[in-house]
Amino acid sequence: MSLFQISEPGESRAKQACTTGAVGIDLGTTNSLIAIVLADGKPHALAVDEGSTLLPSVVHYGAGGGPGSVVIGRPARRLAGQFPRDTIASVKRFMGRSSADPETRRLSPYRFAQGDSGVVRFVVAGGRVVNPVEVSAEVLRALRTRAEERLGIKVNQAVITVPAYFDDAQRQATKEAGRLAGLEVLRLLNEPTAAALAYGLDKRSQGTFAVYDLGGGTFDISILQLHEGVFEVKAVGGDSALGGDDFDRALAEILLGGQERTPHKVREAIDAARQAKEDLTRIDVTDAMGGPITRTQLEAAIRPLIEKTGGPVRRALRDAGAPDGKGLDGVILVGGSTRVPAVRRYVRELFGLEPLADIDPDEVVALGAAVQADLLTSESPQHDVLLLDVTPLSLGLETMGGLVEKLILRNTTIPASATQEFTTFADGQTGMDVHVLQGERELVQDNRSLAKFTLAGIPPLPAGLARVAVTFQVDADGILSVTAREQLTGVSQTITVKPSHGLTDEDIERMLLASIEHAEEDVQARLLIDNRVEAQRILKATEKQLESNGDLLSAEERQQIVDQMAAVRAAAGGKDHNVIHAQIEKLDQVSADFAKRVMDRGIERALKGHSVAEFDQGELSPHARKAYAALEAEETASPAQPGSTEHPVD
Amino acid sequence: MATRSKCPHCGAPVAAADPICPACGKLQPPPPAGAGSDKFATLGFDPSFDEPDGLDERFRALSRKLHPDRFARATAQERRYSLEQTTRLNEAYKTLKDPVRRAEHLLQLRGIKGDPRMSPEFLEQTMDDREKLLEAKLSGQPLDALAAGVREKRDQTLREVRHLVENGGDLSHAAELLARMRYYARYLDEVEGRSAEL
Repeated sequence: MSLFQISEPGESRAKQACTTGAVGIDLGTTNSLIAIVLADGKPHALAVDEGSTLLPSVVHYGAGGGPGSVVIGRPARRLAGQFPRDTIASVKRFMGRSSADPETRRLSPYRFAQGDSGVVRFVVAGGRVVNPVEVSAEVLRALRTRAEERLGIKVNQAVITVPAYFDDAQRQATKEAGRLAGLEVLRLLNEPTAAALAYGLDKRSQGTFAVYDLGGGTFDISILQLHEGVFEVKAVGGDSALGGDDFDRALAEILLGGQERTPHKVREAIDAARQAKEDLTRIDVTDAMGGPITRTQLEAAIRPLIEKTGGPVRRALRDAGAPDGKGLDGVILVGGSTRVPAVRRYVRELFGLEPLADIDPDEVVALGAAVQADLLTSESPQHDVLLLDVTPLSLGLETMGGLVEKLILRNTTIPASATQEFTTFADGQTGMDVHVLQGERELVQDNRSLAKFTLAGIPPLPAGLARVAVTFQVDADGILSVTAREQLTGVSQTITVKPSHGLTDEDIERMLLASIEHAEEDVQARLLIDNRVEAQRILKATEKQLESNGDLLSAEERQQIVDQMAAVRAAAGGKDHNVIHAQIEKLDQVSADFAKRVMDRGIERALKGHSVAEFDQGELSPHARKAYAALEAEETASPAQPGSTEHPVD
Repeated sequence: MATRSKCPHCGAPVAAADPICPACGKLQPPPPAGAGSDKFATLGFDPSFDEPDGLDERFRALSRKLHPDRFARATAQERRYSLEQTTRLNEAYKTLKDPVRRAEHLLQLRGIKGDPRMSPEFLEQTMDDREKLLEAKLSGQPLDALAAGVREKRDQTLREVRHLVENGGDLSHAAELLARMRYYARYLDEVEGRSAEL
């Protein structure tokens, strides 16, 4: 895929996508990265923060709330000590979580807003309230704009990685953050799968691999099989609340001892702990908060945490049909926390294999995501592979007595669907509650509630006669939609599952508006890039028309157009989007007459038997493009075959 | 498979189980419910008791053609077809890959429907087995011998089913035997579950 190519007017829509980049993004708990496949066919992580490829996933909200008050990355992390409540770190832990989740109440310095929506919301400087999706969107937006600056092209499509163990609510929240940051999310890709993709391609290997991914806030284990260019995920498992941050907290507890725990002090202790942990990967003793701390102390503190990874690993191996880890061809290490020597030792014990870590464990996920983005958008992708992923958790419905009936079992290859028939239990019952759950447990209360809705309009019949078919469809992103349909009357209802404690459409609308208000600088940068691209496009188009229909112009008219083209070109070299826009407008005016004449000629030829299309293969006008997009949207939203589900496609 | 339809693209006849038009190579809409429900045919095999030769290879080859990742830039309609066809393919593969599901589907294709009644003797036997398992768990005895016994029963039952299916025997009896497999599976899950949770 050539990134810098400007498409020819009249070429397919697909080709036009080449003026923009499709990137892979690892939206991490601690750090986030962005990568892209360049002309050399290899994925590259881009330096986006003070020369580093790692952008700390830290967002600082300054007083004032105006442009420039939001700071992201290392500068934000430096402000965290001074403004612990206004600086949100590790926001990934809060994605798709409700304020009642135990996760929300763990050791953290933030102020949470009260409210009945159930969504976690942080109160930051100036009383501003932000939710985790908005905070994540700031990180994504920073990645996007900084990548655009480096590459000089627009970045508007992305594959974003998520922990394989993320549930539906967490996936929805991630996708929403992408949208909020102005990205079309091509695919949500599971992090371990992304890592395997990066490795598999390097090594051209075949076989069965385990990916042990211990990041800042999440632990994932995946068992994959690579065969004939197809990656099949056999089993996944993990703990979406276990990671290197927990190591820091465990160590911070020791450092804090009996000291008073102000938000400031807690932040300081956590920072000191992280630094000490990093030091102790290389040396045996270091200083933290004015006292010595040894590797032995660290390892004693984190050993119980590391051992928590053993359960999910054993379960995944069993699900994959390799109960004792025999027959594995390799173990891949992913995530910064696998740098900790005690973790490597544990992995070696667990699998009886020397783990692979030749690709930087911090970058490997983003690199894999970039490869997938290339696979999805490029006409001739650099690597001809296919990923077959699975559902991380079972999906089911509440039935009588608070029990869960599972419709789709965990580790089912996606896309997948399942249908189950239910019946009424009371005479004359006209409605049925549908409660969608995710998890492995038998009782409703032990699983995650994804959605509740009521199918109304069931004809009043004696108990047991009405039949309601509930269909689950999981798409390739792992996102679920549910259809309930009464078989007799055909009354049906479809929803894309919105988490019970998730965001409402109003929340999302408010966030979209807010993102426009607060991202003034981003908007400026975006407008500049947009206008530059538009300038290139219109210059090419005009040039082409001059070539093929230049005979319709007098020498004077032609000169006027050529002069104005030069003005557009000059403006596009500058930094003011308003100037570029004005010059484009002027070129439009100057060539309006010419365009009309070209059009007339087209009609004339068409009347003589030539098709308009044959002559005027210029690209679609904005109106035509809109009409086309509307048609496409309609097609997407139209119901599928009777009896099957609708498939919302974002 | 006698059911045929026309390719919406070029009008050529397409077999219901064929996800791609043999004439123009375009992705087909999935067959309506009822038609093309033969999961062997979805993967291009004849119904059989044993796992068809080359099942994995066929599944991978079809996945490469049908998967939504291959249609990320296609029209909304093609994306929908791809999603539905891949969902069908995955479902069919899951059925054919598992000995019990495969046998159940085979019986279904031969007209055996509904949940069979379990014999009282069998249900009594299962209760016995469960009691022994519980006792062993409580007293901390090794479970291997118990599991091996149930595994043997499971394999024996499957052999009986095969005999009935392949020699024109009583298919509803075969269905009843197959339904027992679910009990065996749950039992073994419980045994293995314990060792995995350690």
